[in-house]
Amino acid sequence: MNLGLKQKLAVSIACLCASGLASADAALDKAMADPGNWAQQAGDNYNQRYSELKQITDKNVDKLQVAWTFSTGVLRGHEGSPLVIGDMMYIHSAFPNNVFAVDLNTQEIVWKHMPKQDTAVIAQMCCDTVNRGLAYGDGKIFLQRADSVLEALDAKTGKVVWSAVNGDPKLGAVNTNSPHVFGDKVITGISGGEWGVRGYISAYDIKTGKMAWRAYSTGPDAEMLMDPDKTMAWADGKLAPVGKDSSLKTWQGDQWKTGGGTTWGWYSYDKDLNLLYYGTGNPSTWNPSQRPGDNKWSMTIFARDLNTGMAKWAYQMTPHDEWDYDGINEMILADIKVKGKDTKALVHFDRNGFAYTMDRVSGALLVAEKYDPAVNWATHVDMKTGRPQVVSKYSTAQNGPDVNTKGVCPAALGSKDQQPAAFHPKTGLFYVPTNHVCMDYEPYEVSYNAGQPFVGATLAMYPAPESHGGMGNFIAWDAGTGKIVWSNPEQFSVWSGALTTAGDVVFYGTLEGYLKAVRLSDGKELWKFKTPSGIIGNVFTYEHKGKQYVGVYSGIGGWAGIGMAAGLEKDSDGLGAVGGYRDLQKFTNLGGSLTVFAIP
Amino acid sequence: MKRYLVPLFAMGAIAAAVPATAISGDDKPLYTVKDGYFVDDHTYEGFKTWRAAACDRCHGPNQEGMVGPSLIESLKVLSYDQFKDVIMNGRLQKGMPNWSTNKQVVDNLDALYAYLKGRSDGEITKARVRKMEK
Repeated sequence: MNLGLKQKLAVSIACLCASGLASADAALDKAMADPGNWAQQAGDNYNQRYSELKQITDKNVDKLQVAWTFSTGVLRGHEGSPLVIGDMMYIHSAFPNNVFAVDLNTQEIVWKHMPKQDTAVIAQMCCDTVNRGLAYGDGKIFLQRADSVLEALDAKTGKVVWSAVNGDPKLGAVNTNSPHVFGDKVITGISGGEWGVRGYISAYDIKTGKMAWRAYSTGPDAEMLMDPDKTMAWADGKLAPVGKDSSLKTWQGDQWKTGGGTTWGWYSYDKDLNLLYYGTGNPSTWNPSQRPGDNKWSMTIFARDLNTGMAKWAYQMTPHDEWDYDGINEMILADIKVKGKDTKALVHFDRNGFAYTMDRVSGALLVAEKYDPAVNWATHVDMKTGRPQVVSKYSTAQNGPDVNTKGVCPAALGSKDQQPAAFHPKTGLFYVPTNHVCMDYEPYEVSYNAGQPFVGATLAMYPAPESHGGMGNFIAWDAGTGKIVWSNPEQFSVWSGALTTAGDVVFYGTLEGYLKAVRLSDGKELWKFKTPSGIIGNVFTYEHKGKQYVGVYSGIGGWAGIGMAAGLEKDSDGLGAVGGYRDLQKFTNLGGSLTVFAIP
Repeated sequence: MKRYLVPLFAMGAIAAAVPATAISGDDKPLYTVKDGYFVDDHTYEGFKTWRAAACDRCHGPNQEGMVGPSLIESLKVLSYDQFKDVIMNGRLQKGMPNWSTNKQVVDNLDALYAYLKGRSDGEITKARVRKMEK
């Protein structure tokens, strides 16, 4: 289709790089404008994961066949997806984060980058050694290594152009997130909430790798890049300035210094508003009794100015977290009708089981509804205060340390974890891979030792009781009204990122290893194929020489995949769920590979 | 040493008349357990160490293995000295940290071994143990 454009683009990128005059933004914007490419992890800046390509449709998708495959040579979890720019595909692996540039004409490896990382990092990673993929811009490929080093590689040769140390892995500050190129900045976060890392998000100059700004999730206003008078938050049914020391006031003493609020999710960017959106993770520790207060700004949706990092608005979803409901899931930007009114919206499916629709310009709370009927830890979100109404029975803080709080839904891995949802402009709906898992949660006293685990709770997880017995659903969601439109039950959590296409197909992967295509209108399954391992990667699509391809990583791992044992005691009160993820072992095995499909 | 079978899905406490005591090499009891999960103070410290070091993140809440191997199985094979070596030096390639800088783990190595050995022997039937009544 756009063959000429793609070829021209590849050439123009090469020329721009050579002349050194390229604005990164222009190169990436141009790459993203051609639906033949997959130039960002979400395909765009909005996290919509929607493709204009429509050769593959709901009428012919049942003819999809494997076109080619590629082994990454690495076991453990493979999240994210490759990138496609022009004739090149850029493939990454779990730790040690190898990168391969593959020529799509020949499937030949043009260059390889094999970082040398200290193996001690593996033990500092919380939930498997995943890496959520590369970013592209300014003729460079950006790799966020596990050991926190951010590398810029020459897209043509793989040579390291610059690198920046983003954290101290000895303190547990490691990385799993994908870097994101927005404008002339490379944005990256940090992991390590289970090591008491104080979370932050950083912006690096795309040309030099020099840090432009860093914004902490907790602590003094200046270090959080918050303006007490101008940064707004939802309070009492309207937006009001956050005021002085909005974080410090919500922590006891120095606890904010080891307070968590890490930033390992997917970020989005609205160019017109010049705002960057992302979420912060759990407060440390998992034992709520040890950290009285709201623990701001953990569990928060942030909107920040891309140039300065200053927070325009913030909204804390789960004040004083008692369940590990990290707020890091992707912020999807879409212009939709909300309660009948045209809105520049931000839609976020939080781990806490509520789907939030915000006005992305102002930060006003518009909708907050449960997107899994099993959610029970809160009755609802009070729309005036914006606070969830916690059910005492499921409050691990009220029940206290050394008490096992049972039957909390969702489990710590949330009604959805990082696996990204997709949007379809035609329906205006969101297509969401979800977990249908509940937990028992027993907090206990822990003390902070730098570089050592700082968790403070023991968990057992199992399928949501009195439901369909499975541990996941794939749903269509109306963010304008806060309602489920359709829901497909799944045996295991759906831990794969979804893709929607102009061909009216929705794709997602399953933990047993199936790539599935379902009909946009009602979720009817149209096609499936079993890949070599469980899928926790995100489905992507591209066009090459006039043909549309759909691809996905398989490679079981991540919190879901490695939690192959549900953690239920065999002699406990048998909720009929013994086995849980353990059953996965019957279906799949480790191993990272890419499978690419096309209609022959 | 007295052994008894534990039904897999017993719905209540298992009545056991006599506490099970495992004998370590030098004739001191390694661990003492009653009703499957009431243990002596020393073994309880081992459980607390297991929990504080968040070993369950890799080895699973019931020691049955996830990313890391099943300790129920490993402790059937490893000698005490080998166990100590793995803890103190780690197996970095496989993601097992070196715990030699973690005071709680170093100070409670024997207790941790006792607790895990009890789990591996099948005498401690629940990962979440309680202290014995004095």
